[in-house]
This record gives sequence, C-alpha cells and structure tokens, in this order.
Amino acid sequence: MTTILRVCDLSVGLTGRSSIIQVLSNVNLEVEAGEILGVVGESGCGKSTLVVAVLNLLELPQILQAGEVEFIPANGKPQDLLKLTGEALRQFRWRKMAYIPQGSMNALNPVLRVRKQMIETLTQHGMTEREANEQVQLALQMVHLKQDVLDLYSHELSGGMRQRVIIATAISMHPVVLIADEPTTALDVVTQRLILQELARICRELGITIILVSHDMGVMAQIADRLAVMYAGRIVEIGAINEVFKSSLHPYTQELIASIPNQSGEHVEGLAGEAPGPWNYPPGCRFHPRCPSVMEICRQQVPPSVEQRPAHWVSCHLFRNEEGSNG
Amino acid sequence: MGDLLAVQNITQVFGTRKPTFAVDDVSFRMPETASIVNLVGESGSGKSTIARIILGLSRPKSGEVTYKGMSIFTRNGGWQRQFRCECQAVFQDPYSAYNPFYKIERVLKVSIRKFKLVNNPPEAKARIEESLRAVDLRPEEILGKYPHQLSGGQRQRVMLARIHLIRPRLIIADEPVSMVDAGMRATVLNILMEFQARYNISSLFITHDLSTARYLGGEIIILYQGRIVERGETICVTSQPLHPYAQLLISSIPAPDPDKRWRETLQFAPEAKSSQSQNRERCLYAERCLHVMEVCWKERPPLRTSPSQDASWQVACHLYGGNP
Repeated sequence: MTTILRVCDLSVGLTGRSSIIQVLSNVNLEVEAGEILGVVGESGCGKSTLVVAVLNLLELPQILQAGEVEFIPANGKPQDLLKLTGEALRQFRWRKMAYIPQGSMNALNPVLRVRKQMIETLTQHGMTEREANEQVQLALQMVHLKQDVLDLYSHELSGGMRQRVIIATAISMHPVVLIADEPTTALDVVTQRLILQELARICRELGITIILVSHDMGVMAQIADRLAVMYAGRIVEIGAINEVFKSSLHPYTQELIASIPNQSGEHVEGLAGEAPGPWNYPPGCRFHPRCPSVMEICRQQVPPSVEQRPAHWVSCHLFRNEEGSNG
Repeated sequence: MGDLLAVQNITQVFGTRKPTFAVDDVSFRMPETASIVNLVGESGSGKSTIARIILGLSRPKSGEVTYKGMSIFTRNGGWQRQFRCECQAVFQDPYSAYNPFYKIERVLKVSIRKFKLVNNPPEAKARIEESLRAVDLRPEEILGKYPHQLSGGQRQRVMLARIHLIRPRLIIADEPVSMVDAGMRATVLNILMEFQARYNISSLFITHDLSTARYLGGEIIILYQGRIVERGETICVTSQPLHPYAQLLISSIPAPDPDKRWRETLQFAPEAKSSQSQNRERCLYAERCLHVMEVCWKERPPLRTSPSQDASWQVACHLYGGNP
C-alpha cells in the first residue's frame, strides 16, 4: 500500500475575543491509496474540522495552528496542501480532491437547473464545455440517474437523488481523493445502503480513495476498510475495521461499540457523562473523566500514539511503548 | 378495557390537482396499559403526518382519531386541555423545540403554569430540579442557560425532564434520537423506557431507524407510501419480515459488525410508468418488488393475518393471500 495523503501534527484553533481555543490537537493520519478510511466520533469531536483543514478550506474563526497535509501522487512529488494558495489551490480542488460536504443534499442552488450547476463546476476547473457535458453524462450513469434530472431543479428531486447528483459532480473529474462528510445521514436505510454501495463501487472502479466521515458505527462497519476514532479533537485509535470492532484497544472505542443498540435488542448502557467541548478539554488524556480504567498518569500526561499491534495504533496510557513516544 | 388511542382509517391528502396521499387508510390502536408502538418507514412514508394528526396539529381528510373514546377534534375546552396535558410530544430536533431567546427552564416553567401542576414557586423549583435529576442532568449545570449552550443530548434530555414533570399518559416521539450522538442514544432510550414502566406511559415511537425500534420492542407498524404494509410484535417482524419491503428495510440496516456486511448490491428502483403510478388500487411497492405478480398491479392487497396465524401479525401482500 502506498500512502496518498499524510496529515502531520495538525492543530486547528478557534479564535475568540481574547484567546485561541484549540479544537484539533496534533492529529496524525495516513491515508492509503484506494482505501475507504472511516473517521468516526461524536458530534463536536472535530471530524468536520479535520476534513475542512485537510482541504485547506479553513475560514475564520478557524485558524491553522500547526501541521502539514502532504499529498503524495503516484507519480509526482509530494505537495503540502496547506501551503497552496490562489490559482494552484483552485486547480487542486475537485481535480485532485473532491468534497461532499455535510448536508450536501441542500447544497444545490434552488434557482438553477442541475445541468448548469454540474457543468459550471467542471468548466470552472479547467474543462471545456463539451468535455464537461460528456463527463456529466457519464457520471450520472454511474450513479444510476437518468439524463432527465439535468433539466430539473433541486426541489423536484428526492433527497436520495439530490445526494446522487452531488456524488456525480464530485466524481465527474475523477479526483484522486474523495472526502465525504456524513453523506447519508439524513436518508432512510434503504437509500443509505444504495448510496453507500454505489459510492464504494464507483470509487473502486475509478481507483478513488475515500475518507468517509460519519457518526454511525454501522455505516463504518459496512463499508470502511480502516477506521479512525476521534474523541475531543484527537485521534484515539486507528486500525483495520475488523481489528477496531473486534478487538478495540481504547476504552472509548470499547464503550462506543458497547453503546450501540444492537439487533438482538439486549439492554445496553449509554456512555456516562458528556464529551467535553474545546473550551473545557481536560488536561492529560481527554477521555479520563469518563474512562472506567482511569489511572493517575491519565490526568497529567497526554498519552502517546503507540502501534500496539501491526497497523493498529492507540493513544492510551494502558498501552505503553517502552522506547518512548512518537506522537 | 377501552383503548387509550384509536386511529381509525385516517387518510390525509395534500394537493388537489395532483393529489399526494401522505397517509392512506391507516388504523391502529394503543391499549390502556403502557405499551410501545413503533411507526417505521422511509422518508415520505407518512410517519410524521400521522404524528401531526394524533397531536391535533392537522386534520385528516377522512377518518377519526379517538383518545379514551372521544374524538381528539372535540371542541370542548376542558377536554382539550386535559388531552393536551396527557398527550405529549418529543420532537426530532431538540434545538428547534426551544425558543433561543429564553432560558432552558422556561419550557419546564411554562408546563407547570399551564397545567397548574403546583401552586407556589419554591415547590415548582423543587419539582424542576427533581425532574432534571431523573434524566441524569445536574440542575446547577442546566438552569439559567440558553439552549445553544447545551449539547444535543442535554437538550433532548431536558425535553424528557418535561415528560417527567407532566407525567402524560401518551408520548408521541418523532425521531427523538436521530439527532443525538451514538453514545447518548442508548441513554435517552433507556430513560424513555424507564418512564414508561414507572409512570405507566404509552409511547408512539416514530423512527426510520429499525435498530432503535428493535431495542424498544413492543409493536411495530411498517409504512410504505402512506399505507401499512406489515405490523406485529417488533421481535417477530424484525426477525422474520414477511412483506418484501419489510425484508429489504430490515436487511438494509447497517449492522455494526464488519463480519455482517451487506451481501448483495441493491439496484436502484426503476421509475414507474406514468399510467401505472396514477392507479392507487394496486400494491404501491409493485415496481420495486422482486416477487411482483400480475395481481399486484390490479388489486390493492388488504392487511391479512400472517400465515403464522398470529392475529396481531398482519401483512398487506398478495404473496400471502389465498389462505381461506
């Protein structure tokens, strides 16, 4: 596996009147070419901030405090995305990295027909009108939409169809990486399944790498290859999907999985307490106030990220790396 | 014993030139004893329309809803006031249920005032604090705050505190956990189930999330395009669905287990031919159904008792016709 995207020590803050609050702290992440990487966490844990930062889309009050996002194309030299500006950045977006934002069902302009919006996206990123027309038609076929939708307005489409239009637009330039932020959250289970299966199929066919952000562990279990679990602005565990589900290491991941109302209808306990917001992140391990196996060290020191099993990383003091830390 | 709530053949139609049947001839009952009915279906299947009708927020085109034997559209001030007190709603978005200009405790104080639960302010304060503690909230962290200062899980639990305060007979909960985090979901559901048992409250639980329904148990009603396609005990229906749509729905729940991935890839539904789609005297699922037969296009399948002969388990599908 080759790495396509490397996030190094990324920290993002929110500027306030007198101080800066850190929302995302020292996030390290490697995305491998062709995989579906799931990013899961509670609302407010920084999932969306992470993808927005990776896309170099941060806007005030969000500011980049530190870090690099390295894009490593198969045949080319690595680029630091966060250093791109102006035209170079504009050409990078959509061509190399496409984004399906949260609530993108409502991202379509209600007063423009679908055709105009899809084609404009492509022509704005360097395609000719004719190429754009062809690509749009191909992309619609891929998501099983008829060409008729091009002449419709967004209110004439169902939620699932709108979502498919957005996916079609995102894949029509054959990006290298596709970031989908909660792409199916507002849809019913049948439509959700259709869209997720479709998305996974298309990306495998075109060799697109997906970063899928969701709070739904079920969705992750169904289509992700690897899973990164976020808690309070940090990645606490990352590993292959089977490993994370079947033998999760971090107490938070364990509790999260145990709290899912399961299919057999057994009684489950919810997670006790509330996730802290960025304004009151506790010192040390940020999960320590809710952790069942809290130790003294957890209150003081930030746990380093340790490769406890091959390719399965965890940030928890229960797992200590004797040689020291690297993250 | 009479029914607590009886919904009889309600139909709701929107639009006149191109009428849309949001709810089409739906009937169900909730007994006097504490019970749970899950109303499940995809978006646009009429779940929320049914909730709005039961709450008296909109009038059905035809059909009747009775609460303790009286029509809920009775124009009797005293009866209406009592009904409004005994039948409470919990909505999907715990943010839009609050007025952002008022502090959180207003929803609780107004309830006390309107329903004249207690007479003097100190007692009201004590009751509010007691109710907040009953939903695992610390009053000192909640009181005096504005809605935007609380998390989604906290806001939804304040709504449950309101239920605890009022102690209604019936809760109409419209997607109460769909905007709550995974970790908090079980907490909210557990609180609801605890109230149900302790205060003899019945709930009509509207959701598109079948794993939530399965967790709650009780009865389940599966809707498709405004019609009931299958109903019965939640455990039976979700483990062995009979209607092809119910089967699809249940197999599409994303199981939180990477070993139980979806096996086959779904195909997008073909568009119905326009002549067919206008005819409503047929099975509305026919164009998507894998087992479609000639009769499905011609006759509306009635709700029939399932082949298992369990009277509470009914299905509206021609596949299960023919039994004498």
